[in-house]
Amino acid sequence: MPGTILEVSRLKKYFSQRRGWFSPHSGEERLIPAVDDVSFYIKEKEILGLVGESGCGKTTVGRTILGLTPATSGSILFEGKEITALPPEELRALRSRMQMIFQDLDAALNPKMRVRDILSEAILLHHRLTDAEVERKTAELLEQVNLKASKLPSFPDELSGGEKRRVGIARALAVGARFLVADEPTSALDVSIQAQVVNLLLDLQKRLGLSYLFISHDLRVVELLSHKVAVMYLGKIVEIGLSESIARAPRHPYTRILWSSLVEKQSGEAFRHPHGSAAGSWGVFDFERPAAGCRFAPRCPVFEAKGRPAVCTDPSSAPQLAAAGPAHQVACHFPTE
Amino acid sequence: MRKRYVQAPGRSDEASGLRFLRKADAVDLFFVGYGLLIVVLVAASYAAGVFRLLPYDPEAVNLGLMLAPPGTAGHLLGTDFMGRDLLSRLILGIQAYFLPGLLAVAVAIVPGAALGVLAGYGAGRADRVITWFSNLVDSFPRLVLILLVVAAFKPDIYFIMVVVGLTNVPATVSLVKVKIRFLREKNFIEAAEGLGLPRRTIVLKHILWHHCRASLIIRATLGMGEAILMETSLSYLGFGVQEPTPSWGNMVQSGANYFLQGNFWPSTVPALAILLSILGFHLLGDGLNNLLERKAVH
Amino acid sequence: MSVPPLLNIENLKTYFYSKGRQAFIRSVDDVSFEIRRGETLGVVGESGSGKSVMALSVMGLVGAAPGVVAGRIGLKTDGIRKNLLQDLDDYVERVEADGRVVEVRKDVVGWQKNVERLMAMVRGKTVAMIFQNPKSSLNPFLSVGRQITEAIRLHTPCKGKAESRERALYWLERVRMDSPRLRYDNYPRALSGGMCQRAMVAMVLSCEPSFLIADEPTTGLDATIQSRIADLLAELKADLGVTTMLISHDIGIIRRLSDSVAVMYGGMVVEYGPAGKVLAAGPESGHPYTAALLASVPDERNIRGKEPLQAIPGDVPDTIHVPNGCRFYGRCVRVTAAVDKECASLLPPLSEITPGHAVRCWLYEGS
Repeated sequence: MPGTILEVSRLKKYFSQRRGWFSPHSGEERLIPAVDDVSFYIKEKEILGLVGESGCGKTTVGRTILGLTPATSGSILFEGKEITALPPEELRALRSRMQMIFQDLDAALNPKMRVRDILSEAILLHHRLTDAEVERKTAELLEQVNLKASKLPSFPDELSGGEKRRVGIARALAVGARFLVADEPTSALDVSIQAQVVNLLLDLQKRLGLSYLFISHDLRVVELLSHKVAVMYLGKIVEIGLSESIARAPRHPYTRILWSSLVEKQSGEAFRHPHGSAAGSWGVFDFERPAAGCRFAPRCPVFEAKGRPAVCTDPSSAPQLAAAGPAHQVACHFPTE
Repeated sequence: MRKRYVQAPGRSDEASGLRFLRKADAVDLFFVGYGLLIVVLVAASYAAGVFRLLPYDPEAVNLGLMLAPPGTAGHLLGTDFMGRDLLSRLILGIQAYFLPGLLAVAVAIVPGAALGVLAGYGAGRADRVITWFSNLVDSFPRLVLILLVVAAFKPDIYFIMVVVGLTNVPATVSLVKVKIRFLREKNFIEAAEGLGLPRRTIVLKHILWHHCRASLIIRATLGMGEAILMETSLSYLGFGVQEPTPSWGNMVQSGANYFLQGNFWPSTVPALAILLSILGFHLLGDGLNNLLERKAVH
Repeated sequence: MSVPPLLNIENLKTYFYSKGRQAFIRSVDDVSFEIRRGETLGVVGESGSGKSVMALSVMGLVGAAPGVVAGRIGLKTDGIRKNLLQDLDDYVERVEADGRVVEVRKDVVGWQKNVERLMAMVRGKTVAMIFQNPKSSLNPFLSVGRQITEAIRLHTPCKGKAESRERALYWLERVRMDSPRLRYDNYPRALSGGMCQRAMVAMVLSCEPSFLIADEPTTGLDATIQSRIADLLAELKADLGVTTMLISHDIGIIRRLSDSVAVMYGGMVVEYGPAGKVLAAGPESGHPYTAALLASVPDERNIRGKEPLQAIPGDVPDTIHVPNGCRFYGRCVRVTAAVDKECASLLPPLSEITPGHAVRCWLYEGS
């Protein structure tokens, strides 16, 4: 597709886990489908939001795209080039085009290095530059992420949360990345700082024409920032579409519950659902052993309201993403109208 | 009297430029200084050996001046039961432990760090194999191992020190491995890989130099202290350096026979030297660690 | 008000002495408020605002050697009002030089003994606390039921084995734990985050405390689970009328559950009043920090128009080098030329702008 920067198709990532009595190395082996048959694409200068509860595999999607963990199967095309099985050297070269912003503020920052060195290390990684050029590039980066030059000689632990995040973003930009995977970039920050970082990401996207895969559980921020939103549940994308339609006119019961929980938490008003309360059954569900058929069925209010139809639990007819409107796809046997 | 806490002190870091002179830093500097003094003495010993600067030939017997007390004309620390100059023997005795000790440290640190990186970075099978070997080495009584080597080969101090070093490998391995695990848990290594840094840079610069440097220095200096103790103990027992070549261990041993007769110096002087040298290496590591670490973390 | 407060805090100061920086970290700085029986007080604040340290001070859990607590925490327990900080000052000595504190000496053992004596009959029984991370607050080696029955037998007159089991099951049901009989024998690791929080709530409430402190009870849980826990707290509040101090940075949950709200910033209460008044503040009313905080959360307008958020400039406050003036000075966008001098150099008092609604801001002084 022209203008597409990233195209993920049928991506699978299974983790294997062994459980035994005496040693973790013996006993039965189980495959945990962290990412199970996920497809989506991101266009140039587009932001795709990826939401879902913890454990749904959204971080794994980001890590697999970056090649930090190998995919089990499926393909990832970045700028039209298959990147799932690149040799280490090419993978390194690729990272001058795509970068990840980690949830952990400290992940990207070596506590023993000054901000200046952290940035110049990244700048010099893919470009051979003179000292003066590095200096100029550093100043430019600081200006882009709105960080004072007085912070250059600081060590990471002398920075506040917001400043650490800015350095992390500057480092990702330093290698010249056009595409960023932002994994919960605001969740470790204070409320008053979160807005600064959201604005910064929005601003950078506009100024530099970046594309993001924006992973978050903060639905409001995702809705604000993203052009499109994908909703993940237990390793599968259950709904994907323009952010307005996902938030205002969700078709999948799970998306509905997610967004209604925002309102509900504040007002206590039960979400007015055609099939009754959104509460459903919120018992424990095994992330490692998802239900057969539709994975959401055990918690699904529609499933209950329809009298537990057999098609939802039939292992051979797991719902597939199907068109449900302009640029809108949903994986549900009974999508809400 | 009731105290009030309203007036907490204001700015107090004005003296940050003079942090050097803080009490804690002064202690560390003293530690380092003392340790360095020991190192200088080691160097002096080699220099004295090469350039023949020793006051007397350490192996020259002088039966006319047996067990002379310290301060006897020309003999600052006195002489031993064969009339050999104690100071000369003490200085030369340094050479008995220093190079072998260095060998023990090198054997413990270099392969230890490499295996630690393999185990921590490679995880999976490499980790399992290395951990298994570490446990095997750890579970072997060290002294038995050393005596076995002495019995199998000749009682050569370098052989023994290789064994001492090998028995310290597991400690280094686990030190590096745990550090890497910790960094991995905090996504640090992943972030470095994600940036596109070559693996060599990550391992050598970010992991070993930035994060393991301090602990490895401490391990090395502790290892040196241990090597001194091991060499002198073995020489004391007669397995290490053999008479007439001086070692602090065999000096204590031969001197001890005359201790009860009131001739305390032939044994006490080298014993004190052992004590002060081990202390010196330990303090050197401690002080260096504190100074290096404080520079980075305030 | 005719109802006497259950808990009143007067001039609470919790400082930690940092040896490395030779200065006090003023985590809680001169905080006063009261909570009446049956009321829920919401405490809003970011990290470093001192809200959690304040809760720990009430629980007598500021055990760290350099921690210094001063002021008065009055709590009504068994009909008697106790000061939970009685005589604690006697165990602390400050060494001053040139008008600066150079060292704080604390008789840690005596302090701890005194705290234990004061808190013995209070902790668990009168005051109970729910912590942010339910998974790490439960003992991983004991079944959930065992932990609850243990608490019941320790804090309530109910001592029998069967009897306490019945009560534990009752409470597990009460917090809407599904299949409570099954969960009773489960270990915490078998429960999800939301269920652990439920178990924690059951354990705390089973001792029938008259005062509950909930420190970030929904933080770190998934969005759907957060609203379930909020439901639960709302239901318990309506049914049992437990007096609660709810601490959170999530304005949504505070808005839903609180009767009155205290907004903390840099260790101080900057605004205090009925929830409706404090959280309804528009851009021109209430404390500038509260208004900015409310505005920085994405709303319909931002989302529809893809507009940038109204970020609060600057950084979270330093509680060591506190400024002489208003703590929010420098980040505040509402400073006018008329009050700029006061804002920069004098700490504004917390004074009422309407009955029951107090704001710590120079904009409202003298008008």
